[in-house]
Amino acid sequence: MVAALGLVRRGDAFVRRATHYVLLGMTAVVFGFPLVFLLLTALRPEGQGLRGGLLELPTEPAFENWARALEQMGDFPLLLWNTTVITVLSIAGQLFTCSLAGYAFARLRFRGRDTLFLCVLATMLLPDQVTAIPKFLLFRQLGLVDTFYPLVLPTVLGGAPFFIFLFRQYFLSLPEELSEAARIDGCTPFQAWWRIFLPLARPMLATVAIFTFLATWNDFWAPLIYILSPEKRTLTLALAGFNRTYNTAVEHMMAASSIVLFPCVLIYFLAQKVFLRGIRVAASKH
Amino acid sequence: MSALFLPLVLSTACTVDERTLVVMAEEEQLDSWIVLEDLAREFEAEHPGVHVRLLPLGGAAGAQDKGKFMLAGDLQLDLLRIDITELAAYVGEGALLDLSPCFEADPTWDPQDYFPSVLAALRAPDGRLYGLPSTFTPYVMYVNRDLLHERGLEFPTPDWTWDDFLRAARSATRAADGNGRPATVGISLTQWLQAVAPWIWQNGARLLDDEGRAAMHEPAFVEALEFLHGLLHEERVASFDASFQNQLSQGLFQAGRAAFYGPVGYWETYRFRHIEDFAWDVVPLPRGERSATAIAMTVYVVPRTSAEPELAYRFLRRMAGERYQRTLARIGNGVPGLIAAARSADFLKPDVAPASEHVFLDVIPEARFLPPLSNWRAIETLCQAELEGILLVEDFDVAAACERMRAKTQRFLDREARRRSLPRMAPWAVPGTLALGLGVLVAIGLFRRGRRPVAWRAREERQAYVLLLPWGLGFLLFLVGPALVSLVLACSEWTPLRPFADKRWVALENVTRLFSDATFATSLKATAVYALVAVPLGLALALALALLLRRATFGVGAVRTLAYLPAIVSPVIIGALWRVLLRADDGLVNAGLEAVGLTGPAWLRDPDWVVPAFVLMSLWSVGAQMLVFLGALQAVDPALEEAARIDGAGTWRRFRHVLLPALTPVVLFNLLTGSINAFQIFAQPYVMTGGGPGDASRFLILYLYQTGFRHLDVGYASAIAWVVFALLALLCLVLLRWSRRWVWYAAETPS
Repeated sequence: MVAALGLVRRGDAFVRRATHYVLLGMTAVVFGFPLVFLLLTALRPEGQGLRGGLLELPTEPAFENWARALEQMGDFPLLLWNTTVITVLSIAGQLFTCSLAGYAFARLRFRGRDTLFLCVLATMLLPDQVTAIPKFLLFRQLGLVDTFYPLVLPTVLGGAPFFIFLFRQYFLSLPEELSEAARIDGCTPFQAWWRIFLPLARPMLATVAIFTFLATWNDFWAPLIYILSPEKRTLTLALAGFNRTYNTAVEHMMAASSIVLFPCVLIYFLAQKVFLRGIRVAASKH
Repeated sequence: MSALFLPLVLSTACTVDERTLVVMAEEEQLDSWIVLEDLAREFEAEHPGVHVRLLPLGGAAGAQDKGKFMLAGDLQLDLLRIDITELAAYVGEGALLDLSPCFEADPTWDPQDYFPSVLAALRAPDGRLYGLPSTFTPYVMYVNRDLLHERGLEFPTPDWTWDDFLRAARSATRAADGNGRPATVGISLTQWLQAVAPWIWQNGARLLDDEGRAAMHEPAFVEALEFLHGLLHEERVASFDASFQNQLSQGLFQAGRAAFYGPVGYWETYRFRHIEDFAWDVVPLPRGERSATAIAMTVYVVPRTSAEPELAYRFLRRMAGERYQRTLARIGNGVPGLIAAARSADFLKPDVAPASEHVFLDVIPEARFLPPLSNWRAIETLCQAELEGILLVEDFDVAAACERMRAKTQRFLDREARRRSLPRMAPWAVPGTLALGLGVLVAIGLFRRGRRPVAWRAREERQAYVLLLPWGLGFLLFLVGPALVSLVLACSEWTPLRPFADKRWVALENVTRLFSDATFATSLKATAVYALVAVPLGLALALALALLLRRATFGVGAVRTLAYLPAIVSPVIIGALWRVLLRADDGLVNAGLEAVGLTGPAWLRDPDWVVPAFVLMSLWSVGAQMLVFLGALQAVDPALEEAARIDGAGTWRRFRHVLLPALTPVVLFNLLTGSINAFQIFAQPYVMTGGGPGDASRFLILYLYQTGFRHLDVGYASAIAWVVFALLALLCLVLLRWSRRWVWYAAETPS
């Protein structure tokens, strides 16, 4: 174990490397396995998903499960479009609001800053369920139930406390001289944010974008409450419909799951590098 | 910026036709949806100027709760499908429209068209009729014909008894391998209250006595449950799974490894029709002292707030009419309430298994509903914990559990009776609290204003406030406001079935109730144990993985990707997946343990192992924490480590004295976020266990949620929410204080 941590003295290089690769392999298997299993189940004929021999390759892969899942989900392009619109707007909202707030908390001096930032942190502790009903009644008052507003508006107004925190940490890590230089050049704080700090924050922007993407894409609870019309449904709502009181077909559920999961995996693979960089910076200080 | 183009893209405000009928009655993905749409178009053609809007129910997880949100928000809803166990609660809160006048005025209405007992369940004692049945099902027993035949057993006759059943179950049970695990069991038992009720009734016992008081302590009741307990733990002829929605019990029968499966309803035929390996059928439940069975049913009702009660009634008649009822029967939803549809080939399906579909009709005379009373869905959750305890735990005091069940139910009934007499809350309570809250915020702002800064500072300050505006508005609107409202709710008694204005004042009773609430105590303990185990283990694993993956050797990139992958999977999918992986008999986790010579526990079925199961799952999703460690490790100056190496520091000492100090800030970060997440665990238990077995996985947020939407007690739920918040805040404060002793910041201190 210790050897694999890459910390031992030179000499027993072979043992060290062997252990390292064995551990790597084990990690890959343990973490990758459940998803492989998901795919395998999705490929089994209906009614066979929960039978013995969980790891056997299906003799005749039931690709029709995907077709059937797509069909059952309803108007798939529309679902995809709705989910995409909500996700893109949420990302834009979070990036705008959180980077602004994070910047203000990190780089500007004003009275009440620490108290307000404490408020931001405190909201992380409040479970969503506490505010669910009052928030619903509010949107109902505003006549916005069954629109995308309740799903998007809280990202533009408010933003997630965690992301504000991340942005603040990031902007704190940038050299103090940047603000000075901007001030001497006659930039207002807003201009400094837009011209100097935001471009520098690209890794953080990517990180928050991906986090928001995942959270919005996978969100089930908010769409369930706020979306009523079939033509405004999202992918997760359609997915949850598979988990019915009666008549659940696990194979279709898994097939549908893999369809919903696919874009997440794809985006993650594509954006991995930037994403990792953002996390590193966020983590470097507290 | 983004606020500018929002209105363009989101211009989805619904256009209202002249008259709209809003129907939320079915799930969109069933084949019946197309027929329902057909019905709607037909209806529109016959009623010009009327538009029927069909809203899908949200699938099993959300079906019962979405309608409640709509009623609470006073949104137009004209026809709604609910479960019969909730009917009394809806009626009790005055949420439904009495349809008797419509029925009486309708010349085409003939009550004889429907099964009398089924229709009776929809009637109030004074004869008011609140809706019509969708489909229903009596509980029966599913039988593996081939397995019985193989063991030389007769197929049960319709009047078989408990003794016949026990004999058959004994001979059907066979141990497979050396470790005593049965290859086949007599019966795969179902466990929820409705499924257990038949045994109780057959033994001459009852749930409530004649005065409507809980009667679970009566000897005949205890005896019936002792019989079930005996099947599992003395006779060892039964298998039982406490997993949510019964999926694993089905699986056992489906795999051909149980001779009987039940008591359970018609809905299983849908899944079992894929069984090819053996022949199966249904029989009435074996009879005890008398014959009895329970009925599950969904019904269509018209909310009191309906804008179009007249049209709603007419459409209701169509949904409970022959064409649609036959459709529901054909797709296997249940027995149609309409007699003509139930006797049609669409229900009896002569060429599809089971051969004896008529059994479902035959047992109707002896079938009963749970006693008409407020909110059986809530009582079911209360009893569930004890029922699962009785069935799962070998040395369990059944009588004591029954007594606890009685006490819990009675306490619930008492509260229900009392809530109608509570004083109404003043209408200014909510606006008053909001104004007060705002006032306090402004006062704090003014009081702590401090010295007026120099000129350029003042400009910066103004601009800072402008930049914080988007956040601040949302903070007030979506957080402070709703939180204050929920504070008012915490001092009130309110259910989403009543208009929001109709809240009852209970002062601090909701908070004092917490102290005597055993379920809350269990819930708190389960959550604390989970957090206490999952957080440190998660930290350790994340750190170990980060150390393993910190240097880019061959394959590290791929493994990093894989290790993070689980963190991006939606909790709904994770839940569905792990429910299968953690199966006791043939789940992958136990298969893995067996491969290294260990016998795995029953995980989700075992009250002692269900929390560890959730810990295990949380470890699988440890990727985000790992990345944070990885980031921090890469930020450590390699020269430092090299210097330590030259000074002769060994592996451990370099880790302990060079890496670990540099990591302390992120350890704190992961510790805080990890604790917050652990305390707020909800989606996984919601999808996987529903809180069971017993109360073992009823974590705080899940309990809060179930209190609000199942027990329809939003006031108490709000009180719980505030307690969770306070506890979390306290925990974070303690962690932060404690961290001052060990967090080490590099040369620069945070500004």
